[in-house]
Amino acid sequence: MEELEKQLKQQIIEVLNLEDMSPEDIEGDAPLFGDGLGLDSIDALELIVLLEKHYGIKLSDPSEGKAIFKSIHTMAGYVAAHRTK
Amino acid sequence: MDNTIFITGAGIISAIGNNKAETKQSLLAKESGIGELHHLQSAHRELPCGEVKMSNEELREMLGMPEGKACNRTALLGIEAIRQALEQSGIAPEEAFLVSGTTVGGMDATERHFLEMLEDDRHLALLASHDSGSTTKLMAEYFGIPNGHTATVSTACSSAANALIVGANMIKTGKAEKVIAGGSESLSLFHLNGFNTLMVLDTERCRPFDATRKGLNLGEGASFVVLESAASVMRRGGKPLAILSGYGNRCDAFHQTASSPDGEGAYLAMKEALDMAGLSPGQIDYVNAHGTGTLNNDSSESAALKRIFGQDMPPVSSTKPFTGHTTSASGSIETTICLLAMQEGFIPANLGWQNQMPDGITPAAGRTGIRLKHIMCNSFGFGGNDSSLVISQAGSHIDAPDIPEPSCAEGVLRTKVLSRNRLTPDSPKGDIRKYMTPLETRRLCDLQKSAMAASLSALQEARMENPDAIIVGTSYGMLENSEKFLLQMCKEGEQGLSPTLFMQSTHNTIAGSLAIRTHCHGYNITYTDPDEERVLALCRQDAEMLMRQGKIRNALVGYYNEVTPALHDMILRLYGKDVPVGVTAVAEVIEKQ
Repeated sequence: MEELEKQLKQQIIEVLNLEDMSPEDIEGDAPLFGDGLGLDSIDALELIVLLEKHYGIKLSDPSEGKAIFKSIHTMAGYVAAHRTK
Repeated sequence: MDNTIFITGAGIISAIGNNKAETKQSLLAKESGIGELHHLQSAHRELPCGEVKMSNEELREMLGMPEGKACNRTALLGIEAIRQALEQSGIAPEEAFLVSGTTVGGMDATERHFLEMLEDDRHLALLASHDSGSTTKLMAEYFGIPNGHTATVSTACSSAANALIVGANMIKTGKAEKVIAGGSESLSLFHLNGFNTLMVLDTERCRPFDATRKGLNLGEGASFVVLESAASVMRRGGKPLAILSGYGNRCDAFHQTASSPDGEGAYLAMKEALDMAGLSPGQIDYVNAHGTGTLNNDSSESAALKRIFGQDMPPVSSTKPFTGHTTSASGSIETTICLLAMQEGFIPANLGWQNQMPDGITPAAGRTGIRLKHIMCNSFGFGGNDSSLVISQAGSHIDAPDIPEPSCAEGVLRTKVLSRNRLTPDSPKGDIRKYMTPLETRRLCDLQKSAMAASLSALQEARMENPDAIIVGTSYGMLENSEKFLLQMCKEGEQGLSPTLFMQSTHNTIAGSLAIRTHCHGYNITYTDPDEERVLALCRQDAEMLMRQGKIRNALVGYYNEVTPALHDMILRLYGKDVPVGVTAVAEVIEKQ
């Protein structure tokens, strides 16, 4: 799981173009949206693309993202349980 | 002087008909044009669309387009709509100006051959009509409208409404007597996939204002109207269909693709349109809503409608379940639908509505045998570009005594340029970090960074935080973003595409970002033209037209454009011209003296 979390952090930094950030800057249980990392609804859509591209997970309703993308922990948990690649 | 703007002709082609009679018939029979795609070859078979029921070949034949003449679908649809409008109005096209709204332009043709265009010269000629400004020129050329008599507006889904507003302002300030104004947009894989990445497309027919709505269906088509000054109508004995009695262009200044919860931009646009028409909300007999069927639009528009109309809510409906969302053309397509409704005395149904949405308006079910004296038509776009039009029965104004207004066409208008910046591929880049944090700039491409830096520094130099209007132009728009999106789509197929790239691919991205940054809810518009000087002249003319009418005191005017290595190479091969790779960003602050 730790390996997956690290990989997700790197992918998020790359996809969302978070310049000046490294995986160590993102806490595993800190909120990704709002007061935490400060991501917004468009970033959530990018994360949905990320899930599909790298892990073969297809979300059809953007509102599902809310719970999944709460933190790196929740995201890794969801990916581990649902990944098809 | 009578400043009335008459509408003396209208033409329309969309999924529900190839002309006005067919359109009216479909609206009255409640027959939707949304269904499976036939002409656009997309992998997304699950997405229903409102496609015009004619192939490019059929359109070309109908218009007598010479074989071998390069033409895109956007222009073909536009030409047919203009032809109908001219026929009804009876004006000579050579005497008219053409103001057209589009965002897709020639993308439908480019995307079919993009990879080949990068490699060899077989389809390279498509480059000449790829950009939105050149698409308008294709249409003008067909009718012999002089080259200098065209303007292209690209404010995403409100483009056509803003084309009507620009046309009307040209007449009011004496720049023109007759303007053919409207918009055209063909379906393209580019924006079908783009909207799909935003997850706002419904796999069933859209249900605007319904609690179960899941999104919009894209549509395509074109519609143009002939706007004419009172003097011209009287001189030639023209027959008015209606009056464009009011209009408002405002910016939501909230988010690049989402509307604000209270619908501020929409509210301000409707209010401005009503004030200009001299009407109270209770005098509006029908509102043709923007009503896309997305969760966000319909709740935001409901909030704005409630703020404007309160207890006097007129019948409201969205006709997008008939036509699909025709994006840049929707403003004029729906204006022409309003004209038909006014003439025939009916309210189009909000097709498919069943469930009341919480806090939403209750749309009209459709009605015939009703007199509609004043109609409002809403168009809202990405970038918060919100516009609203009011059309009124011609009879009500024609017999009215002329209201003496000071003529805004005459006299000298003194303006002063308070500040001016020009960044070119050779000059040092502007420093956006002075104005924005790394988190805020994470999505900005080079062009956006330079355009924002040039504009914000011009405002700072002019000691202005919040300009009255933002009026900008471009040639190829957000090329880096659209090229990346297009390349990925052409190479890897219609999946895994980036919503950020699409969201920031529309020409009005920078004007929208500037409005958000400066909290400017005022007039906001984006023009496109291949020539920098010409598009800047159009922007300055627009600022001047608003100043003459006393609508603004100052404006941020700008131009931004980008030449990517791929575009450089294609221009070199097609025209033998060696244009420098890089970004150009011009920003100036103008004030009325």
